Amino acid sequence: MRLIINIRLFSSRYLVIMSLGIMFFLVVPDSLSFALRVNNHSSQGISEIESRSGNNMRIFFLKHVDFDQHTALIRGLIIVTIYSSISMIILLVFILFHRNQMESEERMRQELKEKYQSLLMDYLFNDDESAQTPNKISAIAADDFKRLILMEEMRDLIVNLSGDAADNLRKLYYRLNLDVDSRIKASSRKWHIKIKGFRELAFMNIKDANKEIVRCLHSNNSILRMEAQLAMVRLNDEDRFSFLDHLQRPFTMWEQINVHEMIVNHNLEIPKFKRWLNSSNKTVVIFSMKMIRVFKQKEAWMEIVRLLDDKDPEIRNNAIFVLGELRIKQAVIPLKHHYKSEIYENLLEIVIALGRISDLSALRFLIMVIDKEDDVQLQIEAARAIRDMGDPGEKALDKLMHSDYKNYKIIIKHVLDKRI
Amino acid sequence: MQHILDILGWVLSNIILLITIFIFTAYFLLAVFSAVTLRVYLRKNSYVDYNSIILSPLTPSVSVIAPAFNESRTIVENVRALLSLYYNNFEVIVVNDGSTDDSFNKIMQAYDLEKVNYFFDYRIPCQRIRGVYKSKNRSFYNLIVIDKINGGKADALNAGINVSHNQLICSIDVDSIMEPDALLKMVKPFLEETDKKVIGAGGVVRIANSSDIQGGQIKKVNLPRKFLARVQVLEYTRAFLMGRMAWARLDGLLLISGALGLFDRETVIKCGGYSIETVGEDMELVVRMRRYMSDNGEKYKVTYIPDPLCWTEVPSSLKVLGRQRNRWTRGTAETLLKHKKIFFGRKYGIFGLLGYPYWFFFEWLAPIIEFFALLFFLFYVIFSTPNWPFVILLFTFVYTFAVSLSIWAVLFEEMTYHKYERKRDVLKLIGTAFFEPFFFHPLTVAWAIKGNWDYLRGKKAWGKMDREGFKDSSAGKSEKPEKVLPGKESERETS
Repeated sequence: MRLIINIRLFSSRYLVIMSLGIMFFLVVPDSLSFALRVNNHSSQGISEIESRSGNNMRIFFLKHVDFDQHTALIRGLIIVTIYSSISMIILLVFILFHRNQMESEERMRQELKEKYQSLLMDYLFNDDESAQTPNKISAIAADDFKRLILMEEMRDLIVNLSGDAADNLRKLYYRLNLDVDSRIKASSRKWHIKIKGFRELAFMNIKDANKEIVRCLHSNNSILRMEAQLAMVRLNDEDRFSFLDHLQRPFTMWEQINVHEMIVNHNLEIPKFKRWLNSSNKTVVIFSMKMIRVFKQKEAWMEIVRLLDDKDPEIRNNAIFVLGELRIKQAVIPLKHHYKSEIYENLLEIVIALGRISDLSALRFLIMVIDKEDDVQLQIEAARAIRDMGDPGEKALDKLMHSDYKNYKIIIKHVLDKRI
Repeated sequence: MQHILDILGWVLSNIILLITIFIFTAYFLLAVFSAVTLRVYLRKNSYVDYNSIILSPLTPSVSVIAPAFNESRTIVENVRALLSLYYNNFEVIVVNDGSTDDSFNKIMQAYDLEKVNYFFDYRIPCQRIRGVYKSKNRSFYNLIVIDKINGGKADALNAGINVSHNQLICSIDVDSIMEPDALLKMVKPFLEETDKKVIGAGGVVRIANSSDIQGGQIKKVNLPRKFLARVQVLEYTRAFLMGRMAWARLDGLLLISGALGLFDRETVIKCGGYSIETVGEDMELVVRMRRYMSDNGEKYKVTYIPDPLCWTEVPSSLKVLGRQRNRWTRGTAETLLKHKKIFFGRKYGIFGLLGYPYWFFFEWLAPIIEFFALLFFLFYVIFSTPNWPFVILLFTFVYTFAVSLSIWAVLFEEMTYHKYERKRDVLKLIGTAFFEPFFFHPLTVAWAIKGNWDYLRGKKAWGKMDREGFKDSSAGKSEKPEKVLPGKESERETS
């Protein structure tokens, strides 16, 4: 098994080097000898080289190719031609070999996974066999490759476990010294191995390697940085989201999605996200607002209203959106107030937000938007906002529809059509 | 005469040879760069759980726009496949581009459609929209069907963009088959956006001829039985896994395939949408968007996903393939000449300094140079005596290099996605690589020459595209419809 894996690693990593190496030994000595005679292609030179080598192909070209004009180019052509021909053969063999190997490895991996899964289940839930099972598992853990699969299986299993079963699995993890492996991985120089280590430590709730994880919170490698953030959210019980305090780089949407998923899937305690509304990192502020919306932390509304004055239009846009989503009635006046000074995208967002808040005090304002604005999108959203105010809104729309002042018919028909 | 022949001989043996070496060096470097990029991508991707996107309330909204023109035989199944894509925040906009068959009636009945009072703004000019339809069945709440006057594929896409309100638009060919997780994978680069705005993402288009299709989805991937389709598998593998991967990494990608592309809607609208003036609207849009961003000093990115995300049927007859390649050539010429300002433009960065010149010299001019080189050679053979060992060496060099590049492409496929499960298929593909330079390559040169000639003559037609149609194994019968791709000219040819 290990042999197969080693061959695979070797093959994929060194295929190019191997073929280039073969080329080097086959071609370069010849080409170097040519190079020494770059300006002297007499038949004497050629015969000298011929006498040093029995390569028929080379002799053919040396005899027949006119080197007087194209020496360097022709040498290049010959080298590339031979290289291409040999690489074709090597690749062909490799492709076929790789296919067989990949299939057998996948089969074996699948078999082992199933076997280990049932062993672990026996260990956790079946008392009768529990005496023998740990020994079997220990034997498995002695083999590098099998330990890898076992670790993967344990990691997959613990996601769905809680209480005693999860504790027992952790104990087994320690007993097999797998925690040592995870720590070594977490300290690896290679980012992809580090990530494996972080994940294992996080899943097994091992906190004493946090320093290494903290260091990676500022890594240039985005995926490593994200994994470090996720590991911290899992492991740092005291202040899971403290990394947000120090985050300098943009907190991408992808990272935000993963952190949110971590909170939801692992029932983690939800922090008061208004704490980060004053962060100097714009993306952290936006993330906090999103979380305030998702977790309905309405008590943060005043801080969000303050963000309507932020100089960044994207922050203002998100603030408007969140106020609307949370249906903060107190925000109606500030939103109307900011309408005069906003950019187009935010005007649209204000109108949509007023629709969501559905406060009748905004009715006249929204009718005015329909009347005064020329932009169709704004008119549609204003009409939709009025519709969402219920009976008074629909009556207002009906009145507008029959207005002789402007033709609103199409727009109002559109928003009143409940199928859209 | 002898003097002319000497000059021709000199041209043949020096300039052409140098150009060949230059092109091959570029191919080789791109292949190496692709290999490295692909490896990093796959490693990073092994830690990605796309379910996070499905479950998240933070994902951007997407409109999948599928223009349809005379797709009667497959439209119902294809729309169903689109509606079952894995994503939580998307709508499917099918644009019936004035079909002359019963496509619209079929989709109307199948999805229980009714006309709605949909109001929209013609932010991008397009042909008149006769009506917008939605399903009475709430299960299809995210399906919108537009019925419009025929205006071609670009025009239909523009109509879809006008009706869409979502942040991202995904343009597809309705007869292509998207992988169920295609949207998840394509959206991810937009989620990873930092200081550079992601304006577009392209995915790999693979060939589905002879594959098993059930319910509008690929069930088993088979290598095409016909040589002509098989050779295109090699061509696509080289282009997508070796070429575009590298160009995307270098930030010099000029083309996102019309079969599948995801774009930032607002940027597309600001750029004026798809151009109806060209037959290469997919490439032209990407070039125009890039130019727009650079001209406005905005940082941006065009990304590319090497995963196979979309399956399409390629022409398997010489006649149809010739028309397609002719159109591609004209599209390339139109786009490159329309945006000639980008050529070595420093403010366009790698895109202007490398990407555009590469397309100009290697994609557009290379077949022309090759054609004239061949003419020179024939002329030389007739009127003089060529240096035959040199000629043999040159042809052997070109042949072995081309074949080995194709086999490297097969290796890339094997090491990454290995979609062909049967070993026999892989061997067949390698076998095809040995025949390609003799039987297929000369044809591509001929079609490119014809395309350039037609471009000079001002031809704008798409060309009639007869296809065999996918065989749906669940239906238990082979469908052999005659299909016309959306396009004004297509309509003209059929009427």
